[in-house]
Amino acid sequence: MRRLLERPVLAALVFALFAACGRGDSGGPAAIKVVIAEYSKDHTGPFWRGLAEQYTKQSKVKVDLQVVDWNSIDQQVSTMIQNNQPPDVLNLNSFSSYAKDGLLYAADEVLSPKTRDDFLEAFARGGTYRGTLYGVPILSSARAFFYNKALFARAGIEAPPKTWDEFVQDARQLQALGGGIIGYALPLGPEEAQAEWSIWMWNNGGDWKSGERWTINSDRNVQTLTFLADLANRHRVTQVNPGKTNRTDGAFQLFKDGKVGMVMGFSPLARQLDAEGKVQYGVATMPTNVGAPVTLGVEDYLMAFKKKGNREAVKGFLDLYYEPANITRWIAAEGFLPVTKSGLTQMSADGKLKPYLDALPNAKLVPTTDPAWDKVKLDVQQTLGLAVQPGGKPREVLDRLQKNATAAEGGR
Amino acid sequence: MIAAVIVVPAVQLARASLGQYSITGLYQGAVGARNYVRLVQQEALPAVVANTVVWVVTVVGVTLLLSLGLAQFLAKEFPGRALVRWALIVPWAASLIMTSKLFVWIYDYYFGILNHALLSLGVLDRPVDWLGDDRTVMGAMIAVGVFVSLPFTTYVLLAGLQSIPADVYEAARVDGASPWRVYRSVTVPLLRPALLVATALNIIYVFNSFPIVWTLNDRNPGFGHDTMITYMYKIAFKSALRDVGLAAALGVVNVLVTLAAVLVYLRAVRWREQDA
Repeated sequence: MRRLLERPVLAALVFALFAACGRGDSGGPAAIKVVIAEYSKDHTGPFWRGLAEQYTKQSKVKVDLQVVDWNSIDQQVSTMIQNNQPPDVLNLNSFSSYAKDGLLYAADEVLSPKTRDDFLEAFARGGTYRGTLYGVPILSSARAFFYNKALFARAGIEAPPKTWDEFVQDARQLQALGGGIIGYALPLGPEEAQAEWSIWMWNNGGDWKSGERWTINSDRNVQTLTFLADLANRHRVTQVNPGKTNRTDGAFQLFKDGKVGMVMGFSPLARQLDAEGKVQYGVATMPTNVGAPVTLGVEDYLMAFKKKGNREAVKGFLDLYYEPANITRWIAAEGFLPVTKSGLTQMSADGKLKPYLDALPNAKLVPTTDPAWDKVKLDVQQTLGLAVQPGGKPREVLDRLQKNATAAEGGR
Repeated sequence: MIAAVIVVPAVQLARASLGQYSITGLYQGAVGARNYVRLVQQEALPAVVANTVVWVVTVVGVTLLLSLGLAQFLAKEFPGRALVRWALIVPWAASLIMTSKLFVWIYDYYFGILNHALLSLGVLDRPVDWLGDDRTVMGAMIAVGVFVSLPFTTYVLLAGLQSIPADVYEAARVDGASPWRVYRSVTVPLLRPALLVATALNIIYVFNSFPIVWTLNDRNPGFGHDTMITYMYKIAFKSALRDVGLAAALGVVNVLVTLAAVLVYLRAVRWREQDA
């Protein structure tokens, strides 16, 4: 057999060895390294290459741009830091561990006040570690409840469910259509279990934390996870093995194929559905078991690494990205949602985005501001699915997550 | 060249295994052998080691058996032999990741052709979630492991077969030996060098195989179907441990285990040779 991509750690070390190179730092760097996650093949690379060119033209500083796919970005960034070759600007879905390790500039040091004041308050808060903004919001998204209109009509369901009881009832009716139709596609596999779980947890009044304390194994959360396990094993209205189904190639794929009545989606899924034109879908708010519906907002970050003499160069680059014309052009192309007030005003014109933009003010974020979250998230991804498999034990799984989260808090 | 490609990374890996790293990858100082102690204490380790043994032994064993047959077949003259020989190279030439992704679709519960075929043939009366069912995941991965290992192994053995001189067979036939007897007493002993090479290299390749296990197992939470290679990656980047130092410790262990397995195998074989 060929040995492609094997022993990734070793390979990474070898790579780092050859990649190492010096940089003169008298009066600012000759180049800055910018690492961006690849949101889509079509838009991410082209946009950032264009931005880099524009930046080099006006500042004479070169940009070493690396667009990295999500599967390997954690590994690549870790390798850079291990080898003392951090990027100057990094785009990622977490930031607080980097802030905790003292690697980052505070946002005020690398953003002009005008840029700083344009952020939507919730997203600025979501990038704050111990009272200081480090994780600069780059884009956001919000989940919404997707349903297949044709299947709803066939099952005689008139409106998307508002409560959990209605949800279960609708799911059963959809499943009863037979012919392989699935009521609800529930992805609790390792890809993004924490996202699906957050939505259900919040819509039952539970939460990750209460103040400074983790509350993962609260009675409410046990009730929620038991409810999800029941969907799979008692009501049998989900796809096979929901604890072992990922989102992108699992739940979304089934929904796009018209096999599924309901799924938690987001705006990029809507774009794909529109492009394929196979499924007539509606978008609604989340069904809730207590009070008003809550959705999950996701915020990704840009952060600036402290390196000798790079501050002005980095500042110039960030301010260029946050020029309303630039940031909004890219976010719109990728199908995500704005993080700035000016962007929100501009994008409100797009009727298709209305359900998500409406949901944005009520969206909750996962606790990315806590460095322990970076471990809790991975722990949830690797264990939560086991609770909804036949014979799974929701309380034990949550107890264990709670214990590990509390330990991670006090840990390194 | 050897220094740059092998020695330096090995030293780096060993050094990393003695250090403590923050979740971001920031080096926080030396901790001696503590990572190794923690590694042994990992709850998932026994299952991972057991998986690794099953994975390596089964893939290498089944590959060798099938390759022996295939090589024998390809050594004979028949119309279209060149074509078959070329076709056999395909799984070798394709990227492991692409092959693995292809198999993910073949095994898929809802869309996969495997379930479709077995249901139409009446072998199954309901579909099987090959990659999600704990009882079938390892078998499904092993099948892919064998599939991609066959070309290399078959060609090594084919080369071995063709280096056996025809007059040896001639002599055996003159002595009135049965075909089975010829195979056991002439072919197998003379094929020994090729078998040795094929086995030793396959042990190393299969043990180190990352893409198949990673891709086919990526939907399953936890470490129940991981080998020591994918477990190492999860320790470093995909589990709550997120610990490069601990992963490097397992990396060192992995290198030593591979070396030890091959040495033990070669010794065992030579010992039998002298015994005979």
